[in-house]
Amino acid sequence: METFKLKVFRYDPTKDSQPYYQTYELPVEKGMTVLAALFKAKEEQDPSISFRYNCRAAICGSCAMRINGHATLACKVQVTHLLEKYNTDTITVDPIGNVKPLKDLIYDMDWLIDKLKKVKPWFIPKEAPPKDGKEYRQSPEDHNKIDFASDCILCASCMSDCNALKVNKDFLGPMVHSKAYRFAADTRDGAKRERLEAVLEDVNLEWCVRCWECTTRCPKEVQPYENIIRLRIMAAEEGYKTPGEIHAEIFEQDILNRGLLNEMLLPMRQEGIFGAIKRAPFGIKMMFKGKVNYADFFGGHKVKRLEEIKVIYEKAQEKKKEIHIKLPQIMGVIYEDKRKTAKRANFAETGGNK
Amino acid sequence: MADLKYAFYTGCSAKGVAPELYESTKLVAEKLGMELIELDAASCCGAGAVQEKDEFLALTINARNLALAEELGLDLLTICNTCTVMLRETKFKLDNDPELKAAVNDVLKEVGLEYKGTSEVTHFLWEIIDGVGLDTLRSMVIRPLREFNIAPFYGCHIIRPPYLIGYEDPDNPKSIEMIIEALGGNPTDHEARLACCGFHSFWSAEEKVTLRLTANDAESAKEAQADFMVTPCPLCHTQLDAMQEEAEERIGTHIGMPILHLPQLIGLALGFKPHELGLQKHVVTPEKVIKAFS
Repeated sequence: METFKLKVFRYDPTKDSQPYYQTYELPVEKGMTVLAALFKAKEEQDPSISFRYNCRAAICGSCAMRINGHATLACKVQVTHLLEKYNTDTITVDPIGNVKPLKDLIYDMDWLIDKLKKVKPWFIPKEAPPKDGKEYRQSPEDHNKIDFASDCILCASCMSDCNALKVNKDFLGPMVHSKAYRFAADTRDGAKRERLEAVLEDVNLEWCVRCWECTTRCPKEVQPYENIIRLRIMAAEEGYKTPGEIHAEIFEQDILNRGLLNEMLLPMRQEGIFGAIKRAPFGIKMMFKGKVNYADFFGGHKVKRLEEIKVIYEKAQEKKKEIHIKLPQIMGVIYEDKRKTAKRANFAETGGNK
Repeated sequence: MADLKYAFYTGCSAKGVAPELYESTKLVAEKLGMELIELDAASCCGAGAVQEKDEFLALTINARNLALAEELGLDLLTICNTCTVMLRETKFKLDNDPELKAAVNDVLKEVGLEYKGTSEVTHFLWEIIDGVGLDTLRSMVIRPLREFNIAPFYGCHIIRPPYLIGYEDPDNPKSIEMIIEALGGNPTDHEARLACCGFHSFWSAEEKVTLRLTANDAESAKEAQADFMVTPCPLCHTQLDAMQEEAEERIGTHIGMPILHLPQLIGLALGFKPHELGLQKHVVTPEKVIKAFS
């Protein structure tokens, strides 16, 4: 392929009633990033294309956009890789999702900034600075907890593709929750409670649907999803009783007492008697369809060797005091199992993605 | 054909709210020459809930599940996306942290088990492609699904996050489309094919997030003129099928999009009857399919 098509989202609210796409034919050059392609189109064909950029080296976070439907930094992905990956001659560029476009690929950032302000994304010291005049210090183990979270460059790729934000703009969003975690988990910070209150307002922290899209999109491996979970663990440790916390307790009890979750009694235990009444018509519908395991109303069946699980529960409580679970290093990791790698040739032949 | 013997991890849903998934998996696996040894001592994976309350406990419980497959000397096969990601997360953490692995094994020792890391965690979807093979599958099709437009719905945890899953490109996966094509059907390209069903925030954001996503997904398949959706995950299935009416109420539109489990789809093409595969158990009855195959 000698040329490819760069299909760019165009919108100027001062003269366009609707956004539209404009396509530019460009030469395929080895090593060319999507940002470089946008520059080429702007310099040689159409000076009116508008986009944000700055460092061109995946450090500043300015050039986040949706490329073939997924948010990333335009300076971080190469044209040749994309054409091969999508088996296409067209690269489509849109502004990041879930935001208001201002002009072409430039979007309104105020909305994101307003959300960020709610969690006070700055350091609020717990105590007066050290008397020796040096900086606030912490141990490497303590720093490990916030190591990845502090790499966030606020590019908002995670906010763009967040499934919860897609349907409800009141969700604070992964970038904001992740930032809240970064400070709440900092041993030098004194506003943990305040930050937790902010993310738990209307149980917003638990609107997250666990889709792992944010972590998949993040160009800096900040692990926003994992940070949301760490924030939830922190809230539970601080004694907040949220629906998620109740849900976790039910799972924990069921695994201990029978091995598997008792789905039939879940609504009653999750929401109490009023919840059970509210959900009764649904339950009847499920019974009618033969989807109800009646035995579960009387405890249901238990997995074999259940006694092992009881022992594990007891022993794990003692053992966990001794262990510090390190954050996973996910930079560039694709966790393929050995057997799969050996069989991958088969998959490639049948036309799948490598 | 390779040795297609697996330690079969059913998860909770196939034993609870989705009995048709359990039945259809068994039927189809047997027909395709897959031998499933059920792990009847395995427990729930924690589904992310236990993980956010007591991570060490969740890791140990799942290390036990993996050790049960290792006892049999087999790879562990799941039929649920969330089980897949939780078990693979456990493996990822234990395989990359010797200290943590030792601590978990200290606990498992009390019940005579050890997590070694010798069994892999795989999903039914992947084994159709890598184990059975699409050529074999194609050759066994009795009743091609020619007249159906089928909307693939991957479900999050079989593509994301790549550091735990890594089977195919999360930006542009193709495995379900490949299977649909091998069965003679027409995969549709719809906006929500890689979206989330909303299941995991049901109890905390049913109105505010979950049902809105569910409605979006089903509508997206309808806009693409799909006859039904197919998913490899029972949680997506419960959400999209059983909760679809609730989702419709919120948006005030009738959608009526039937959802099939992946093994049911394969089963139809292999010649099983709709009632053998439990199609009548779906809340949104796939009438067109049942009629065509009865």
